[in-house]
Amino acid sequence: MKQTVPLLVTAAGGFALIVAFFIPATQSWGEVAAIWFDILAAIAFILGGGNLVANHLKKISDHAAGWAYSAITLAAFFVTLAAGLFKIGSAPNEQQEFYGQRFAPLSLEQFPLTYTVEGKLPEMPFRRRLPDSVAGQLAADRQAGTITFHGWMNAGQRADLKGYQDVLAWQATVERLYEKAQPPEALRGKAFFHADHLALAFTGHMREADRQILLALADTSPWLKAVDALYDSTGKVASVKVEEPPRRDFHPETITPDVAYDCKQHVLEIVGPMSISLRDRLARQFPVAKPLSSARQSRMLERLSRLGPLSEKQEEAFHKSAAIIWNAEQLVVELNLAGEPAVVPKSAREMLAEKLAGVEVIEPTKIVGQSQSLNQEQIALIGRFAQSEMSADELVSSLKQAGPFSPRQASALRTFLDKQPTAAARDKELAFALLRAGPLNQEQQDELLGPYRRQIRWRRAVGKLFVAAHCVKFPWAGEYSTQGTMFWWLYEYAFKPLTATMFAMLAFYVASAAFRAFRAKNLEAVLLLGTAFIILLGRTFAGVYLTAWLPESLSFLRIDRITITIMQWFNTPGNRAIMIGIALGIASMSLKVLLAVDRSYLGGGED
Amino acid sequence: MLDFFAKLDRRWIFLLMFLAVAIPILFQVRFPETPTPLAKAVFDAIENLPDGSKILLPFDFDPASEGELGPMATAFVVHCAEKHHKMYFIALWPVGPQMIQDEIQKVIKEDFPNLVYGVDYVNLGFKPGNEGVIKVIATDLRQLYTTDDKGTNVDRIPMMHGIRSVQDFDLVVNVSAGYPGTKEWVQYAATPYKIKLVAGCTGVQAPLLYPYIPDQLPGLLGAIKGAAEYEKLVVERYHLESNPKYLEGRRRMGPQLVAHLLMISLIVAGNVILFAQRRREKRR
Repeated sequence: MKQTVPLLVTAAGGFALIVAFFIPATQSWGEVAAIWFDILAAIAFILGGGNLVANHLKKISDHAAGWAYSAITLAAFFVTLAAGLFKIGSAPNEQQEFYGQRFAPLSLEQFPLTYTVEGKLPEMPFRRRLPDSVAGQLAADRQAGTITFHGWMNAGQRADLKGYQDVLAWQATVERLYEKAQPPEALRGKAFFHADHLALAFTGHMREADRQILLALADTSPWLKAVDALYDSTGKVASVKVEEPPRRDFHPETITPDVAYDCKQHVLEIVGPMSISLRDRLARQFPVAKPLSSARQSRMLERLSRLGPLSEKQEEAFHKSAAIIWNAEQLVVELNLAGEPAVVPKSAREMLAEKLAGVEVIEPTKIVGQSQSLNQEQIALIGRFAQSEMSADELVSSLKQAGPFSPRQASALRTFLDKQPTAAARDKELAFALLRAGPLNQEQQDELLGPYRRQIRWRRAVGKLFVAAHCVKFPWAGEYSTQGTMFWWLYEYAFKPLTATMFAMLAFYVASAAFRAFRAKNLEAVLLLGTAFIILLGRTFAGVYLTAWLPESLSFLRIDRITITIMQWFNTPGNRAIMIGIALGIASMSLKVLLAVDRSYLGGGED
Repeated sequence: MLDFFAKLDRRWIFLLMFLAVAIPILFQVRFPETPTPLAKAVFDAIENLPDGSKILLPFDFDPASEGELGPMATAFVVHCAEKHHKMYFIALWPVGPQMIQDEIQKVIKEDFPNLVYGVDYVNLGFKPGNEGVIKVIATDLRQLYTTDDKGTNVDRIPMMHGIRSVQDFDLVVNVSAGYPGTKEWVQYAATPYKIKLVAGCTGVQAPLLYPYIPDQLPGLLGAIKGAAEYEKLVVERYHLESNPKYLEGRRRMGPQLVAHLLMISLIVAGNVILFAQRRREKRR
């Protein structure tokens, strides 16, 4: 029995692989056998670890020669294992943290709402399963012809369901179900249900009105408890001390009423969690860099020159660096492009309606909006914006007054400006350009770098508030090998240099062996030596250099050519012969193993 | 004198080897490279594909062989990025994911920040099982790769849509330091399923892979020499001369040349001593 089972497993696995190779219909047998092989290979890692520990422990316990090395090996093994398994120093996975949201535990069974639409689950060949992301939440009643979704559907689930079958009728059903399986209108984009994380979630600060809307949806105890827990959790205040606000008239309430700044205490606070977009908006409180006209460049240079001397080379570097910035023409082009009609994909329902109406060729996209270019007054406004202290908000309202200005254009304007450096960052670049061209005294450096230092301090404060307002949800979801983790340090600064050193040491031993052992003692050794010389020279520029003088008619004697000839005409046939021989040997050996004629791999030899 | 050299302390040889490698590194010695047909074949295999083709990049090497294979891995990634190919990284060696991460950081994140993870490139990570993994993914990739290296479901990765097996890739570019490596990719993927494969390998592997050229393996880069030749083609095509990280292969050829010359000198010296000793013995 002890030997029969392994023999049968070997024979079954081996024959399955052979049959799967020759008969396409049985291809899946081969896959199953290979997957089992992969699983066993993974288990072998654990066995290998156990074996390593056992052998080295024995060596230490016996005080055998080199037992201290065994102790070091074991210590390194356990430290690395712990660093990787416990993810020491690893930050939580950003994708799993749902920044800006707070969670309250609520399982799918406890979620009280279901949504039903008319429709049929498509008949799929080979009983294809529903996508994993919706498998527990979707149910179909074939007799009633309805499909029911338990919970609120997110965009990912909708995409997975639409991809389940590429048929318009089904995709239209999914779209209707998606629209229905959503939180109340007032809470869309705020309230979420994460079935796979067993959590009801809320973005930002939940107000009393939001709470009442949620409570009105159901009166089950777990639901009420989860809503109240979220209400309490999102009402918590986080605060940080700020050295200096971005400007004197800083009022974060204009961005969101949940953030406040106490100018007397220098405290920035937020109610509830902070989303990434809010963090970025708060951080962007420093004015964007505007193009520097020649007059402004001269004024800046004059100011710097008053603080200390500037060389001609520095002035040249200043003008060169100051020119690298956006201009009004670029912004006009960007806004005109955003004013062009947008090509958007049609919904499945639209395409289905067209199909039912008898349209033969259905286009998957449609054009929305009309072409809307900026008028002369708006272009002049943008020119003024580029040369003045006008803010982006003021520009948008002026542009709206001056002519038609679509929300897409307003959004394009903000995106364009967000991509540009701030004035503080521009001044920093100018400082570095000047420093590359010559020295700057402390006052000059402070003049150019001061605003950037303030910007850094402010952004750091906002970052601290972001962290303080966040509640870690899955602390162990991070990557064990990301930069900064203990495993990364061990890999980068111990494993990597040690293995590279081991490999590099070969060069020294090969050199020593070449001097002592590579001797022309007989004809075979002479042939080997000659080949080695040619290959060693041919694999470097020396081979080309030494024989480049040979005329084209004798080019076959050039060392680099001879190297290729040796590889193609001697090495390849020789290796092919060896490989064919090995393959035949493997085939006969494998048959002996599969037919249990050769049982030596089982160990022992008896039976 | 003869006895001194015959019994030369090997530490002198170690010192010579150290100098042979260190001096060209310190003085940044570089030599011109002429690409061989095999390096050109590798370059053409990637270059001639239409922009946006799907390329599987199994990085089957570790830090020990980084000195030999790192520059070609870098060159492969920058070439694919310049061509806007979709890059799918996998590894059959346990530390392969770190080598992949190094290249992603060095090339994609630093020089191609516009490339988006999951859309332009993805790291599917390491799977144990050696050639067993190749055998499975040659017909059904999702049997083994259900998530990427970070644990994201592959169904949620846009560039994985439509990828069912290795046969869906336009090209496989393998960087191999041994077993499992190019030989296994040839035997279990390229040959049975007619998958196009090019590779870069260590010097000791190259002679063993020549029998597969050109039908099963149209292009092969052998060690740092192959890397330098391929690098030259990529650098010239995409004007990357100003970036030293794309000239690393050529830089490493300097120490290799001097070290090879030292090896030849040592072999010659060893044989001269041998013949001198024999002559002396005959005289006696």
